[in-house]
Amino acid sequence: MAAVFDPITLEILWRRLISIVDEADSSVSRTAFSSLLRDAHDYTCIFTDKKGRELAQGTFATPGQSGAMALGIKNIVTKYPADYYHPGDIFIINDPWALAGHLNDICVISPIFYKNQLTSFTACVFHHSDIGGRVSSDNQDVFEEGIFIPFVKLYDRGVLNQSVLDMIRWNVRTPEQVIGDIRSQVAANHVCSEKICQMLEDNDLENLDDLADQIIGFTEKSMRGMIEKIPDGTYAAKGIIEQNQGQDIVIQAKISISKSDIVVDLDGSSGQVKWGGNVVYNFTYAYVFMAIKSIFAPDIPNNEGCARPIKLIAPEGTVVNCRFPAAVAARMMIGHFLTEIIYRGLSEVLPDRVIASSGGTPAAMNVFYGRRFDGKPWHSVIIRGGGMGAGAANDGNYVYIFPANGANTPVEIFENDTPLIVERRELIPDSGGPGKMRGGLGKREVFRVPDDRYAPLPPVNLGIQAGRYIYPPKGLFGGKPGARAQFLINGSPGNPYGLTQLQPGDVVTIDAPGGGGYGDPLERDIDLILSDLAEGYVSPRGARKDYGFDVKTSRRIVGTTKKQTSKKAKLNLHQS
Amino acid sequence: MKKHHYRLGCDIGGTFTDFALIDDDSGNITTAKCLTTPVDPSDAVEEGIRELESKLPGFVSELDELIHGTTLVINSIIERKGARTGLITTKGFRDVLEIGREIRYAPYDIFAEFPRPLVPRKYRLEVDERIRSNGDILKPLDPKEARRVVRALVGMGVESIAVCLINSFENPVHELLLEEIIKKEAPGVAVSISYRVLPQIKEYERTSTTVTNAYVKPLTGRYLSGLSERLKKIGFSGRLFIMLSSGGVTSVETAAEFPVRIIESGPTAAVIAGQYYGKNFNIPEMFVFDMGGTTAKSCLIQKGVAGVVPTFEVGRVQRFMRGSGLAIQVPVVDLMEIGAGGGSIAKVSKLGTLQVGPESSGAAPGPICYGRGGKEPCVTDADLLLGYLDENYFLGGEMKLDKKKARRGVEEKIAKPLGVSFIDAIWGIHDLINETMTAAAKTHIAEKGGNPKIVTIAAFGGAGPVHAYGLAKKLGAPRILVPPNAGVGSAMGFFTAPRAFDLLRSHKVTLSSASFLEVEQLFSELEREAAKILQREAGTESISYERSIDMRFIGQGSETNIPVPNGNFANLKKADVRRLFDETYEKLYGRTYPESEVEFINFRVRASLSAQLLKIPKLAPSRGHTLGAAIKGKRQAFSAAVHDFIPYTVYDRYSLFPGAEFEGPAIIEERESTLIVGEGSHIRMDDYGFLWIDL
Repeated sequence: MAAVFDPITLEILWRRLISIVDEADSSVSRTAFSSLLRDAHDYTCIFTDKKGRELAQGTFATPGQSGAMALGIKNIVTKYPADYYHPGDIFIINDPWALAGHLNDICVISPIFYKNQLTSFTACVFHHSDIGGRVSSDNQDVFEEGIFIPFVKLYDRGVLNQSVLDMIRWNVRTPEQVIGDIRSQVAANHVCSEKICQMLEDNDLENLDDLADQIIGFTEKSMRGMIEKIPDGTYAAKGIIEQNQGQDIVIQAKISISKSDIVVDLDGSSGQVKWGGNVVYNFTYAYVFMAIKSIFAPDIPNNEGCARPIKLIAPEGTVVNCRFPAAVAARMMIGHFLTEIIYRGLSEVLPDRVIASSGGTPAAMNVFYGRRFDGKPWHSVIIRGGGMGAGAANDGNYVYIFPANGANTPVEIFENDTPLIVERRELIPDSGGPGKMRGGLGKREVFRVPDDRYAPLPPVNLGIQAGRYIYPPKGLFGGKPGARAQFLINGSPGNPYGLTQLQPGDVVTIDAPGGGGYGDPLERDIDLILSDLAEGYVSPRGARKDYGFDVKTSRRIVGTTKKQTSKKAKLNLHQS
Repeated sequence: MKKHHYRLGCDIGGTFTDFALIDDDSGNITTAKCLTTPVDPSDAVEEGIRELESKLPGFVSELDELIHGTTLVINSIIERKGARTGLITTKGFRDVLEIGREIRYAPYDIFAEFPRPLVPRKYRLEVDERIRSNGDILKPLDPKEARRVVRALVGMGVESIAVCLINSFENPVHELLLEEIIKKEAPGVAVSISYRVLPQIKEYERTSTTVTNAYVKPLTGRYLSGLSERLKKIGFSGRLFIMLSSGGVTSVETAAEFPVRIIESGPTAAVIAGQYYGKNFNIPEMFVFDMGGTTAKSCLIQKGVAGVVPTFEVGRVQRFMRGSGLAIQVPVVDLMEIGAGGGSIAKVSKLGTLQVGPESSGAAPGPICYGRGGKEPCVTDADLLLGYLDENYFLGGEMKLDKKKARRGVEEKIAKPLGVSFIDAIWGIHDLINETMTAAAKTHIAEKGGNPKIVTIAAFGGAGPVHAYGLAKKLGAPRILVPPNAGVGSAMGFFTAPRAFDLLRSHKVTLSSASFLEVEQLFSELEREAAKILQREAGTESISYERSIDMRFIGQGSETNIPVPNGNFANLKKADVRRLFDETYEKLYGRTYPESEVEFINFRVRASLSAQLLKIPKLAPSRGHTLGAAIKGKRQAFSAAVHDFIPYTVYDRYSLFPGAEFEGPAIIEERESTLIVGEGSHIRMDDYGFLWIDL
């Protein structure tokens, strides 16, 4: 008979699971080698039951990885059931279609055995700065993008499979770092496994099966309860995403809510492309899920129960469900947009629960690499967000990667890891989209390639994956767009799509976009404008131009009588 | 010759200031409690000492030590009442403080709030200088520009300046120059440079910690020097110590220079006391629950040890959420503090539901029943109306409580607007605050891997014993421990705190190329430095040292701390040190990699004086005591089980004796607190006067 946990025990054990995964998560910052992991936190740890159903994830998880893993691990466990695993086994895989959508995301999976019974799995995806291949978003297929690792054993009953490690070692540029980071993944899984077994022992549990059922059941019930409150209906939204060359990418979303079920249908979206922006189903699902979870149940800890009411239809061969061997390295350049497209679709019925478009969509990634003055190779990846979109009652937060998540790399760490000098990391005034609620500010970073005795050997390579150079993040309900992204080399616009080669003495400026505003800027509270002016978030010129506010007289110079109702404003939303 | 050796512990809370005086020869303890005086907290200190003087005339001249904890620092941060602070940064980096680390602490919450920086943008100025990551000067600091920037800040009226320049931890020359210039240009302005506050890599964490230090430095300095003078005036000639957030104690001078290290000074004392009891009674899992007037502090103590973490956050904007506060990188006892106390205000929320806390009425005006002008019903008002407190025996009868006024307040502000009965209103307030504390307790216990079903709750603080029973019921905890003088329990912690100071020096070198002779010199230097700091407080005691090294695999971003033996480091073999690393690494992460080389990053020394331990005296065995003599009578008080008032037996704690046993429902009164025990629970007093309640 299934054990029934009283509410307190259930809550304690549930919280305990989450904090165990958090412990595994925080071990990474202590054991990892690359700054993309230890400082920028581009990794996710999750924990599933023995059927592969997600039970807990690290608090600072990035939704793309965790959402894709939740699907991926379950598929793997369905394909390779319980008797496939032995104590001491550890698996490794970076198949983009099976897991998190590009080769850089290596997943290490460990079955957890307690009293010789398979009880659960712990898995972590790390974004490795280096996976070999040609580092650029304009590759034609996945073969150009690096080494492809199918589902193989890294450890077989506790014994290292050296061949796998050697195979990886000889296909990457910085093997010490990559191997070190794989070891860090093994360590994270170890921390999780140890603590899970300890928890089972402390609580006299034989396995996690009943606990898993109750956690998932409780979560699903809460999630459905929230969805049910929304009137049934079908809502549509269209997203247009800029392309370097050729036609813009179009994503069509139809969102149907029926009682407590949500179906998102992306039929009609553009076909897959001949560059790295293609998104695998798992990753598309992750950001659709992100949008719905954030609207309906932001506070419930994430697990399989949250996902159950959500169904995704994405036709194969489209850019949101690409076929092998499409190039996928830059999948976030399209995938991250799914969240804001869902928000736009539901803004009509839930205007208070969504935000305008964000400058951190898509997350920007810069890959810097080259050789130091003494010939030593270096390689560093940094990620970057922007201003978030404003909401009905809040200015947009900044500066954040959204809907993904991650941290910046401290300037002092970056300068330690590379020969470059960071000259600025600062907020950009007037970059937040004007609105009754202002969009979050964007951020400027300036890098200099030194030309003195520490000058690196030329060239210094810079690969960029980003967006919003053409279409800025849009506002909602009359709010204006945030500032566009910019990429300047020595003050002139560079090409942000390919691989840029820099010389000693070059100065690169990278501006992250601001978030979109919400509501008519002419309705913005004067006190808020004054405080923005005092802090320098808005310049006197910006106040005049964007808010019709004159600093000298401290008065509005444009009439404020014009009241745009939100219902009218939304009609403009679907146009780009 | 002194006749006695006294030590005085004094804890300034948000509402009350608690005192515990110990006579080290006899172990006798005398206590006092008075309302905190927020305008000048030393008023209350003097008042309490005078009260103790009336009980023990002349004790001040026989006082060896005064050990002091204060919530002054943390409250000024939470309430944003610190100094107007300026920040000087490297050109291009004035927004580092605001940009932070950019990670969203609640990935699915798009409306999550983030804390505002302590220094607004307009007070953040830049100087055009630059140090390289290897410490080379890329662009020298122009003293003229530096003076201009300092004058500009002074012109804006800042009282304190923080300086944090990029890569200053590698080469502090520009920060030191700025420090000199500030001292010269603005002698009245407090200075905090990052090199002294936290000489560690990562500019945001270093800036945030330095800015926090600067923000509270003027007020801490003023307060501590005022307190010292005042104590001198009333005849105190002993040593004054301040509790550190890490659980050690330090001198007034160090505390005034680095106030960021005493942020959790007050709450830590209760944890240290709990740690001591946990060890003494050999309790495997103890949950310290210290509920005062303004906040409740809790900490899980496992096998007598409370955790210490290297970084923490203050002023979390989203309750309990990691990442929603200001990052501070100093060691701190791993405790959880929430806005739940006797003074927590009850009100009807916007949604039309009952809300209790986190705002507190504090010492002034206080709950309605204090009769000091309070208009908002508080937890203490509800506790009084539920019959848990005696209006004529609050603080031993020194403070009369006004039951009528409290009743009117609850009826008008809570019962009527909510449309509930008076009883439901007062019970709702009591029960809701218990629920809030239970949620916090569960999070904390789960995070530490504890199990509430086996924890012993140690209840301290004026309101702790009033609410411990409800908390235990909700958590499913089987036992409550209430030490003698529980109402001032946290002040007892001061007597058991170690006096210690931690120092660190960064020096990156591989194990294979390190000269152990140089390492020995480095350690000796650190020990000499620490000795200098501790000498102020050491007197004739000897200092002991613990050495450790932060080591890592080459290329790893972070280190593992490896304790190393004392004695001449040069006598160690490289293989021995490597083995120490491998053993620890394998224990933590399952595997180690002997083929990969390791390096040293930081060298650490913890210098400490032996803790002068508190001896808990046994009470005289009972002779002729009877339980009947301890009974003051019966009082109608609320029972959760029957949801109505029932008669509780009221006991005088001072008349109870070792071996006394009885059953709930019971109310046990002592001067500074009241213990409530419901039906079906068993109460016993042990040989030391501690009460054990089995639920």
